[in-house]
Amino acid sequence: MIRGFLDAHGYDPGPSQRPYSSGAISGILATVPAIGVLVAFGSLRIEAAILGLSSAATLGLGWAAMAIAGAAYARFWGRAANSVRSGWIFGMSFGFALWAAGAVLVLPLLSGGRAPAGNAAAGVVLSLIVWGAAVGILVPFVHRPLHESLERAAKNEDVGPSAAVEKTAPPRAQAQPARKS
Amino acid sequence: MIRVVALRKAAVAGLCGAAAMEAFWFVTGKLGLPTIDLVAQLSAVQFHRWPLLGDAAGLLAHFSIGICWAMFYAFFFWGRFHLRPVLQGLIFSIAPAMLAILVVYPELALMRSQSPMVVLDLHRFFAPITPATVASLLLSHALFGVIVGLMYRRPVGYAVGNRPAPPHLRRPGRSHGKRNANATGFMFATGIECSYPTIEHGRWRRDEMDSTRHYEFWQEDFRLAREIGITHIRYGPPLHLIFQGPGRYDWDYIDPQMAELEEFGPEPIIDLCHFGVPAWLGNLQNPDIGRALEEYAGAFAERFPWVRFYTPVNEMYVCARMSALDGLWNEQLRDEGAYARAAWNLANASIRMSDAILKQRQDAVFINSESSEFYQPCCPDPEIQKIAQAANERRFLPLDLIFAHALSPHMHDLLCAQGISNEDIARLQHRTVPRRSILGVDYYEWNERLIDRQGHAVALGELFGWYVIADQYWRRYKRPMMHTETNKMDADGAARWLWRQWHNVQLLAKSGVPLVGFTWYSLTDQIDWSIAMGESVGIVYPVGLFDLNRESRIVGLAYKHLIDMFRDQPDYRECRALKEIMQ
Repeated sequence: MIRGFLDAHGYDPGPSQRPYSSGAISGILATVPAIGVLVAFGSLRIEAAILGLSSAATLGLGWAAMAIAGAAYARFWGRAANSVRSGWIFGMSFGFALWAAGAVLVLPLLSGGRAPAGNAAAGVVLSLIVWGAAVGILVPFVHRPLHESLERAAKNEDVGPSAAVEKTAPPRAQAQPARKS
Repeated sequence: MIRVVALRKAAVAGLCGAAAMEAFWFVTGKLGLPTIDLVAQLSAVQFHRWPLLGDAAGLLAHFSIGICWAMFYAFFFWGRFHLRPVLQGLIFSIAPAMLAILVVYPELALMRSQSPMVVLDLHRFFAPITPATVASLLLSHALFGVIVGLMYRRPVGYAVGNRPAPPHLRRPGRSHGKRNANATGFMFATGIECSYPTIEHGRWRRDEMDSTRHYEFWQEDFRLAREIGITHIRYGPPLHLIFQGPGRYDWDYIDPQMAELEEFGPEPIIDLCHFGVPAWLGNLQNPDIGRALEEYAGAFAERFPWVRFYTPVNEMYVCARMSALDGLWNEQLRDEGAYARAAWNLANASIRMSDAILKQRQDAVFINSESSEFYQPCCPDPEIQKIAQAANERRFLPLDLIFAHALSPHMHDLLCAQGISNEDIARLQHRTVPRRSILGVDYYEWNERLIDRQGHAVALGELFGWYVIADQYWRRYKRPMMHTETNKMDADGAARWLWRQWHNVQLLAKSGVPLVGFTWYSLTDQIDWSIAMGESVGIVYPVGLFDLNRESRIVGLAYKHLIDMFRDQPDYRECRALKEIMQ
């Protein structure tokens, strides 16, 4: 249902776009301010304790997870993720969804019910919203240099004269009528 | 881009919605009813030692959340259902209410915990949720939804009488190239969608250049057109903003763009009247619009003497039909006589505008673009045949008037019934049409229609195709032709449509029809054309060579491929039909 609401016509990225790489890079970059929030609220230490990892390992895991989350964000939001004007709100809502689904539901499931509380819990939600806003702001700018040039993309045979041909092949029986013997 | 969103309007709606929730909790608290105090709970998370600072931070957090939800509503929910705005808001409020009940409120309780870590189970997590809390959260969020629904409406366009900010000044040194490098080459064109009719009985102005943010991105738009290889651009200065009254013009809305086009191109085909007139002229039923637009055309040609290509009035038939027969734009009538009056006024305006331009520039070229339509009766029923015949006669009326073609008796009588004299009709019939007049034939997949057994016109899709329909127009008017508009409401299938239209153009040219150009319309996606701009919803209509972030669509790449492939071919590098016109 959510996909249906998001799936505006013509929303998918075109062949010259690079949503996964721009999203992953933005996801990694956006982790920097989010870590600042986690440290300030003492959340990083608590999350590391819950996961049974060192702070450095937790950070490494977090960076990898946020790269994947960034790629997912850019692909999920499609062309909308390229909007300079609106990326922040898309990113924040994605960050909020990650918190609601991940930090609130998944983390306690993985850790036998242990969850951050107090300041640490506030730090987790704030860090994900900050991460989301940052990734939403960053994607349009990170995407530009990664974008395939018009000149090059237009040379692709898929957009050439063969595009005029109906893509859905006719049933075999109609395409090749049986030869009379 | 999913929707075009009025960010400020959404922010104000969200702010007011959150304030209404605060008021609700305050009043119910004062009345002694079981309720919650979200601000107190938010502030208690971090600021329990400084209550005032805590309340301020809590309020700020709640208002920010309200703004975010309203933005979310504006982007993803608004306009999805054809319901009253208040109901749309009410339905939407279920989402934040559920999140508040199931996630946020229990989490807030956790955040107030003194311990940095807890062991959770479902019972402990949902312990703060009581029936009174649920009722309070549901009611307050319903109030939020109602407020946002009531306040967030009409995200695109503006009240008639208001004016958007003028385009930014030209930034120097951002372009290269040269306009009009090959004056007689085949015209590979696009256009900037520029419709500006009024809706809501003249109270609300649609302005596609504003909605697509062309006033902001105009320089980037021209650069992208050049990058694709576009040689000509159909461009409609905003008549309703420029022409303030007799002798009064505000050229700030067009001067920067024209300076850029003059220097770097693409060569503009100036579209002087595109589906609307300034508010002071009323609507298309006003017999004075011909005189007024004549003055405007003359002033425009005098100010920009380097412009050679003009479309005096765009798609007169469509404009008259949508305004006076379909009841969607401008006068919003549904009357055959009103259609005839609008068509007459527009055709008359087109002729007077052409004459005014010719006084300034004798070698001006007129590209009179019109939607090519065709109505097929579904059966031999005489009544159905008659309806189809009337519809087919109606589509030709404006072009018959400007190209001095004999009118059908039915159309002639219809004009006379509107008080238009035989002498006035004869004056147009015997006029000499300017030699450099090109017939622009637009074509979309809904242009061929079937008159069904109930007498209704239903879209047939591409049954005969542009080749057949355009040929009807060629045989009727015998004017050089141009494919002046096409697009496809299927971002993935648009490249296919582009190439198929192109093959139609090639075939018609091979059959001997003088063809001078082809147009994909438009450069960027459009807004609300899926509902014929009859309401201000902000739905993106993804037909552009570029989306509204100015990222290329597949059809943009395909058009560049096409132009690169054909522009240096001998028949296209020098288009014989265009060369004859330009001489």
